[in-house]
Amino acid sequence: MSHESSLMPRKGAFGAYGGRYVSELLVPALDELEEARKTIVRSSSFKREFRETLREWAGRPTALTYAANFSKRCNMQVYLKREDLLHGGAHKTNNVVGQGILAKRMGKTRIIAETGAGQHGVATAMVGARLGFETVVYMGARDVERQAPNVKRMQLCGATVIPVTTGSQTLKDAINEALRDWTANLGNTHYLLGTVCGPDPFPRLVRDFHRVIGKEAKQQWADRVGGLPRAVVACVGGGSNAIGIFRAFLKDHDVDLVGVEPGGRGLESGEHGATLQKGTPGLLHGARTSVLQDEFGQILEPHSVAAGLDYPGVGPEHAHLRDIGRARYVSVTDDEAIEAFETLARTEGIIPAFESAHALAYAMKAVALGDYEPGTRILINCSGRGDKDLDTYRKLYGHRIGGAAQAKGTES
Amino acid sequence: MSRANLDAAFAAKKHHLSPFLVLGDPTPDISFELAKKAIELGATMLEVGIAYGDPSADGPAIQRANLRAIAAKATTPVALGVMKRIHEAFPALPMNLLVYGNLVHARGFEAFVQDALDVGASSLLVPDILFEEGEQLREVCKRLGLGHAELAGPLTDAKRLKRLASTIDAYLYLVAFQGVTGARTGGSDAIGELVKRTADRIEVPVCVGFGLSSAEHVASVYDAGARVAVVGSHLANAIEAGINAGPLGKGKHVVAAFEKAFAPLAETVNRYA
Repeated sequence: MSHESSLMPRKGAFGAYGGRYVSELLVPALDELEEARKTIVRSSSFKREFRETLREWAGRPTALTYAANFSKRCNMQVYLKREDLLHGGAHKTNNVVGQGILAKRMGKTRIIAETGAGQHGVATAMVGARLGFETVVYMGARDVERQAPNVKRMQLCGATVIPVTTGSQTLKDAINEALRDWTANLGNTHYLLGTVCGPDPFPRLVRDFHRVIGKEAKQQWADRVGGLPRAVVACVGGGSNAIGIFRAFLKDHDVDLVGVEPGGRGLESGEHGATLQKGTPGLLHGARTSVLQDEFGQILEPHSVAAGLDYPGVGPEHAHLRDIGRARYVSVTDDEAIEAFETLARTEGIIPAFESAHALAYAMKAVALGDYEPGTRILINCSGRGDKDLDTYRKLYGHRIGGAAQAKGTES
Repeated sequence: MSRANLDAAFAAKKHHLSPFLVLGDPTPDISFELAKKAIELGATMLEVGIAYGDPSADGPAIQRANLRAIAAKATTPVALGVMKRIHEAFPALPMNLLVYGNLVHARGFEAFVQDALDVGASSLLVPDILFEEGEQLREVCKRLGLGHAELAGPLTDAKRLKRLASTIDAYLYLVAFQGVTGARTGGSDAIGELVKRTADRIEVPVCVGFGLSSAEHVASVYDAGARVAVVGSHLANAIEAGINAGPLGKGKHVVAAFEKAFAPLAETVNRYA
């Protein structure tokens, strides 16, 4: 591939990434949102409402947990930032609360969102209910089938779930469809994008709503442990939980920032979602970023056992952090993630999301890889809880649970 | 150079009807036959697209057209090959290429623009490289001699319109509806006002598309000052109907359905000078 290496984005650029690669028809909506980001989001009354809602409705601050037993398995000292304890079960809630309050103050009456596994859809439906929006969630038809419990949750909160039957019928097609809806309805509608991707100003807007993760963790670490962690580790699909926790440590150059990508069935298999390690620069969903694509620029379907990491692009800021060497990106396979999922459940009584299990799986092999000395203190973002993954786990790996579990899960 | 075809067409004739075809839909050969049929019926320009799997500015009909072309293995080189055949058959025909940014980016701007020129393209419109991000691509087009077009919509204000128009050397593609592509019924008055307002504000030719599906639509945009009417989704729907009408073969049903949908529109343009 001889991609256009000289292209430098202008709007909201992170080095050679970011920008606004959308149709002219979206300009009024993006300009309006950028203006709101500069005025409303920076106002003290917005900040107060955001902080109070996170505290009283969403349950912040979340705990910092020393995982003593899991640490032994890793041969390191592992601290978990417990975003799994946040209302809704994942860090996603930070962003939907921020954008929800913002949309309300912009005078919008309708919010739309894309969702893959359904977590961002559920979070959007929750905030839509709380703030009184008409809520529409686009979800690939294949995902609607695979994630039926989350569809029910969204509907219970009053959202309309629209199955997307075009293209590959997964997350990327849901984003395309949400962009189309927004183009046609930008007067009354806010597109509540779920990760640090998309056209400017979304990557910065979403990042800023997730900064609270790292800010809290850094303070908790200083109070409880002292000093700074040697490394901060988070999983990366679109990359919002990782940016949220990395951001507070960006200028602490002794702290390694490690993003863990979904290695799926192995980086050499072609069936993975390791966009930063195997992707090339491209334009996807409004940004120039690292993209999984073929030689002609057609977007490829990624693979991961974790539906939330199953995305062919990545937040442009991550591509920049990679290029400048400030963050390092590694991968673990589906099987390694599942092993970490089981290990954390058995050693700590915490069932992490498959996505978060990727970050945990890296910790389990980091010493063996020679990346860190035994006993190193690291901070891992436990970005979500794994209840949503139990059906998938039972179907794919049920034979590994002892006792009453079904060997093949065929009863479902 | 084919860039001149566009200028010559605008100099020779005021109103143009331009079908939009996704190259390779439903197959490369049939898509060539459709282009031939369109020209025979009175098309004086052609807008052609290279199939893309994530056409986020397009509605369902064009999305399906893209996917059909991808299923027929109409990659960028195959699509350019169809353009070359059309150009060889109709060397004076302006062909305006509409292609999503990532396909251009993957090839590299300079290489892509050169490829397009080599197969007879007159101009290039990339719907998802926003004006602010398009300076490098515009520079390459200008240097190599490929016409460059920009999109504008119902909400594009006067100041921005003038800014867009100041860089254009092919035409302004005016999107008649705030939304994605798709055949619509009714609404001619509102389109007419938008077209008139736009055409009055700028000097470059205005080309109108997104949702034109009837002779009445076409007539109303001409009356309001548009030089080119582009018909896309309406024809994609016809192609789909033709595919469903019987075995694909050499495209007999598809060409027949296409003719049935396009002929009434072509008659309209023939009434205009």
